[in-house]
Amino acid sequence: MSHTPSDDARAQTAHARVVLVGNPNVGKSVLFNRLTGRYVVVSNYPGTTVEVARGQARIGGITCEVIDTPGMYSLSPITEEERVARALLLREQPNVVIHVVDAKNLNRMLSLTLQLLEANLPVILLLNMMDEAERLHLHIDHHALAKRLGIPVIPASLISGRGVEELKNIVSEYLSGRQSRNLPPAD
Amino acid sequence: MSVNTFPVDKVATYPPPIEEAVEAIEALLSEEYTLSRRAVALLLLQHDEEIEGMVRRREGEERFAAIAEHIRKAQEHYREPLSMVILAHRQKQAQAIAQEVVRYPLKTGSGLAEWIGRVCMQPLTGIPILLLVLYYGLYQFVGVFGGGTLVDLLENRLFGEVINPFITHWVKVIIPFAPVQELLIGEYGIFTLGITYAVALILPIVGTFFLMFSILEDSGYFPSLAMLIDRLFKKIGLNGRAVIPMVLGFGCDTMATMVTRILETPRERLIATFLLALAIPCSAQLGVIMALLASHPGALLIWATTLVGVFLFIGWLTAKVLPGTPATFHIEIPPMRMPILSNVLTKTYARMHWYFREVFPLFILASAMIWVGQMTGLFDLALRALTPVVRLMGLPDEAASAFLFGFFRRDYGAAGLYRLQEHGVLDGRQLLVTAVTLTLFLPCIAQFLMMKKERGLKTALAISAIIFPFAITVGTVMSLILQLLGVQL
Repeated sequence: MSHTPSDDARAQTAHARVVLVGNPNVGKSVLFNRLTGRYVVVSNYPGTTVEVARGQARIGGITCEVIDTPGMYSLSPITEEERVARALLLREQPNVVIHVVDAKNLNRMLSLTLQLLEANLPVILLLNMMDEAERLHLHIDHHALAKRLGIPVIPASLISGRGVEELKNIVSEYLSGRQSRNLPPAD
Repeated sequence: MSVNTFPVDKVATYPPPIEEAVEAIEALLSEEYTLSRRAVALLLLQHDEEIEGMVRRREGEERFAAIAEHIRKAQEHYREPLSMVILAHRQKQAQAIAQEVVRYPLKTGSGLAEWIGRVCMQPLTGIPILLLVLYYGLYQFVGVFGGGTLVDLLENRLFGEVINPFITHWVKVIIPFAPVQELLIGEYGIFTLGITYAVALILPIVGTFFLMFSILEDSGYFPSLAMLIDRLFKKIGLNGRAVIPMVLGFGCDTMATMVTRILETPRERLIATFLLALAIPCSAQLGVIMALLASHPGALLIWATTLVGVFLFIGWLTAKVLPGTPATFHIEIPPMRMPILSNVLTKTYARMHWYFREVFPLFILASAMIWVGQMTGLFDLALRALTPVVRLMGLPDEAASAFLFGFFRRDYGAAGLYRLQEHGVLDGRQLLVTAVTLTLFLPCIAQFLMMKKERGLKTALAISAIIFPFAITVGTVMSLILQLLGVQL
């Protein structure tokens, strides 16, 4: 997690990095597979993504590395998994951070989004499990949420693939620099 | 889509004493960090040790002391730690934003899925459901159908009457050397034992098990099960979260040992690792034992009761011996859903593929190793060394080979046991004693390596040093009790 000159060199020369973060059991691994096409065992109960999965993807013509992190509830780690996830965020200097959340439990999920924004990371918020939320008759105004947070918010249902294309479009905008908020922070 | 029209890092704000401290600390930070200075300042206010170390290293002691002074001053405004204050404020704002954008239905839709989930969690209804799942899913489907019908079809009909006689005939015709014939088609031969075990015995059993496991997993049953068992687990120093590695352990203990990482305290991780190595049978083993004991329901019942007893007793004892307080339990409970066929098939296939790729070469290697052992006399030597132990447990001498196999892999040992039973060497009582002892053994070499990786060599060796004598002692005591009581199974 130290920030050495070689880290910077790496950040400039290596592929762009897309990091997936979120609570356990929100669909990060499914998204990872959707983006990279590589198979890792996907489970629908929490805590199974213990090892970090990495894969290559081509998004909007740009080759990038996709990194699936262990589940985390907050940027202040309690478990070993959360420590790993934060260390990854610090070390990898991501070009895009996709925060995957369970749309049904938005009120419990946005705290981490706020922390990621505080950290000035290039966040995209992906509201997964919209199908289940709709079945519960929850109505989520994602336009209002995007405006309130100042970041792209995409409704999705990863299991059926809904929202993946829109996500890819926005990720490619970030990667091609049109929405770049890469280091150093513009302050 | 509107993006970044204002500084997003100020989306959440905090009360003045904290904001002032953040501003002061930000001004003191001279280096570039991957996180914004605001985030670094906030993490410092929350006494995050890793961040403190990093800032101290990069900004120097003098600046760090100045930062610490700001933190101390901010803390003076509050009775509770700043980390709590910051967390509470952030959470309140997150919830407020959610309130703004989410419209909830007037009446919370308590769909059928949620109702089923609730029913599975209530002890009164959940325990009978669990028993039904165990009886039909495990006993009937895996034990009777997979281990009985399918194994009979594959092992006795296909391999016993078609494939093996064919191969045996041609090997004898082509290769006239007896030692080589022994390696390929002997009692422990590569074709007659290794490949037959793997394809005709393990494949149908593990296949039916993984299919059932994937259906349950995809339906979202396991988190509900975790809630149900949480209370019981608390008594043995674990919380419901530990159900996840335990349930996974029924698939593969090695993988589950890795998953103990999700547990919060080193104490919980150690207890869970130990229990996985000792008392949780993995899929291959579970399947073979189900098949083995399916014809002796009484023995199966005693086997299950003994394992649950050992699990609870050892868990309770370990929790007593290891100091510490149990951690709190938080888990996301997804609603139950209809399993999706393609998911179930993919998961089953991925697991079988992975398992088969691991055991298939090993089974062949084992045949080759036994052959080398027989040629050099080492195999007989090891069997003779085990014979007194086997006799102590009231078992026939032939059971020694199953134990020898069991040291390498529990499922391989259990498969050896299956053979003995087919040949009518073991009666119900002996079958039970062997099954219990083998189940308590360390599952396989891979798990030992995983324990070493996760917990260190010393702990891994200590766990193994406890497990093997313990398993043999339990087997012996059980045999004695059954003999004394004159139980016929």
